Amino acid sequence: MLKLSTIDAGYGPVQALEGVSLEVAADQIVCLLGANGAGKTTTLNCISGMVPVSRGRIEFDGVDITNVRAERIVAEGVVQVPEGREIFPQMSVEDNLLLGGWLQRRKPNWRGALDRVYALFPRLSERAQQHAGTLSGGEQQMLMIGRALMARPRLMLFDEPSLGLSPVLVEQLFAIITRIHADGMPVLLVEQNARMALEVSAYGYILENGEIVHQGPAAALANDPQIQEAYLGG
Amino acid sequence: MSTIIVQAVVSGIVTGCIYALVALSLVIIFKTTDVVNFGGGEFVMVGSFLALFALVYLGVGYALALLLAAVAMFALGVTFDAVTMNRIGGRLYTRQTELVPTIVATIGLSYLLKGIVRVVPYTEEPRRIPPLFNAPPIFVGDVVIQAQDVVIVVATTLIMIGLWAFFRFTMAGRALRAISQNARAACLSGMPVRTLRMVVWGLSAGIAAVAGVLFAPKLLITPDSGTLVMFAFAAAIVGGFTSLPGCVVGGIVLGVTQNLVGVLIAPQAISVTPFFIIMVVLLLRPQGLFGDAIALKKV
Ligand SMILES: Nc1ncnc2c1ncn2[C@@H]1O[C@H](COP(=O)(O)OP(=O)(O)OP(=O)(O)O)[C@@H](O)[C@H]1O
Ligand SMILES: [Mg+2]
Repeated sequence: MLKLSTIDAGYGPVQALEGVSLEVAADQIVCLLGANGAGKTTTLNCISGMVPVSRGRIEFDGVDITNVRAERIVAEGVVQVPEGREIFPQMSVEDNLLLGGWLQRRKPNWRGALDRVYALFPRLSERAQQHAGTLSGGEQQMLMIGRALMARPRLMLFDEPSLGLSPVLVEQLFAIITRIHADGMPVLLVEQNARMALEVSAYGYILENGEIVHQGPAAALANDPQIQEAYLGG
Repeated sequence: MSTIIVQAVVSGIVTGCIYALVALSLVIIFKTTDVVNFGGGEFVMVGSFLALFALVYLGVGYALALLLAAVAMFALGVTFDAVTMNRIGGRLYTRQTELVPTIVATIGLSYLLKGIVRVVPYTEEPRRIPPLFNAPPIFVGDVVIQAQDVVIVVATTLIMIGLWAFFRFTMAGRALRAISQNARAACLSGMPVRTLRMVVWGLSAGIAAVAGVLFAPKLLITPDSGTLVMFAFAAAIVGGFTSLPGCVVGGIVLGVTQNLVGVLIAPQAISVTPFFIIMVVLLLRPQGLFGDAIALKKV
């Protein structure tokens, strides 16, 4: 469904990705693991049209989306939940969600999508009229996921969603990702929490200094002693 | 004496509205793109010359001249954003606007527009545009109100309300507020950030043109009349630099204070009034009368 073929990308003189190839099939959760600065965020931003790709090709559902404008990629159905707390802090929770559906705004019943998001995150519906900036870190993470769902994605990209969450919230978060996936959503998951990520994924890639150095079925990666030592804390 | 003071207040409100319009045109750009447009005054100046040319060479009526100038300036604003700001305004993945390049670009815009207008032959002498309506002045007691003054106040009020409603109630307006709060997230949510920013530059230039055409009958227009932007900056700062009603209140406070200073203290003191007001406001309420803490951080 999503296919990256030998892509290079960088920031001016800094080469951040070199010949990265990866694939996400229509019914999979695929994880992309790696240390700080390995190029995980850059990979997602190349897919989302936020960072220019200097070589290689990105295809989604047979459509070439290499270096296409970010809004067109969202329109194709590839939606990213970015790293950190990327919300609209001075706007209400509901406005944040509605704006996530910007491209759907003229479609019939796009506000109906709001009810589905509230059903998934009852907390957000309790806080609908509150400024998003006043939400807790965990709630803001939920808001970003809800906002991405409002765009009616056909593939979701998550960038370190568990970052800064308590262990209980991390459990909840992974449960939600699994649930979204169970409803038929393919997912590309970037994580530092390799153990949890490999548990929910079908397939995994490991990025080091901008290159894919390992890949394989998640279970195989989780049992590989070399990977256990480097990424799973021995 | 009291008539003089009332008259000073009334004409201060009118001048204040002009400041407010120009301040609005600056603030909508700052609010949505974090760019301070130092060429804002030249948008006003070029707008008034365009209307003048339309009157003189095309022989159209005032209303049409105003409309033509506003539309032409809208196009100019869009073009400037497309060819300049869009390229230097910082990559979307960095989240930060590149400060110095955008300042240099808008200062460049200011000199460019002034230079172009200076080489146009008709602009050597100061010019005056006749008022929109040639209606007789209105007398309230001994206070005189020109028909043009009424037009200015009404137009300013309408434009402010229109902009406020646009930002609050339309999806495009909300998207622009979202872009100002987090352009990266807006992009990832599928908002056409570049296009919407171009629209804001167009709106800004269009409003500046309206200000230019409305104020031209009261003052002479020259290639240097863009210096008026200093007063607009003062009005915007008093109002908090992100608030639309703040612009109008700030403009009126400034206009009225200037006139009162002129009448009660000395006409020579008028020119320092804006800076004095800026200092007082920044000392007592650094975020401006209507600004929020975010605005303070941004400035
Ligand atoms: N805006 C930028 N300008 C210049 N270099 C950048 C920029 N963003 C990232 N880089 C560099 O690109 C490389 C990859 O960064 P990237 O953010 O993709 O890593 P990451 O795997 O997401 O790391 P983390 O786990 O810390 O989020 C790093 O060397 C980083 O310094
Ligand atoms: Mg990252």
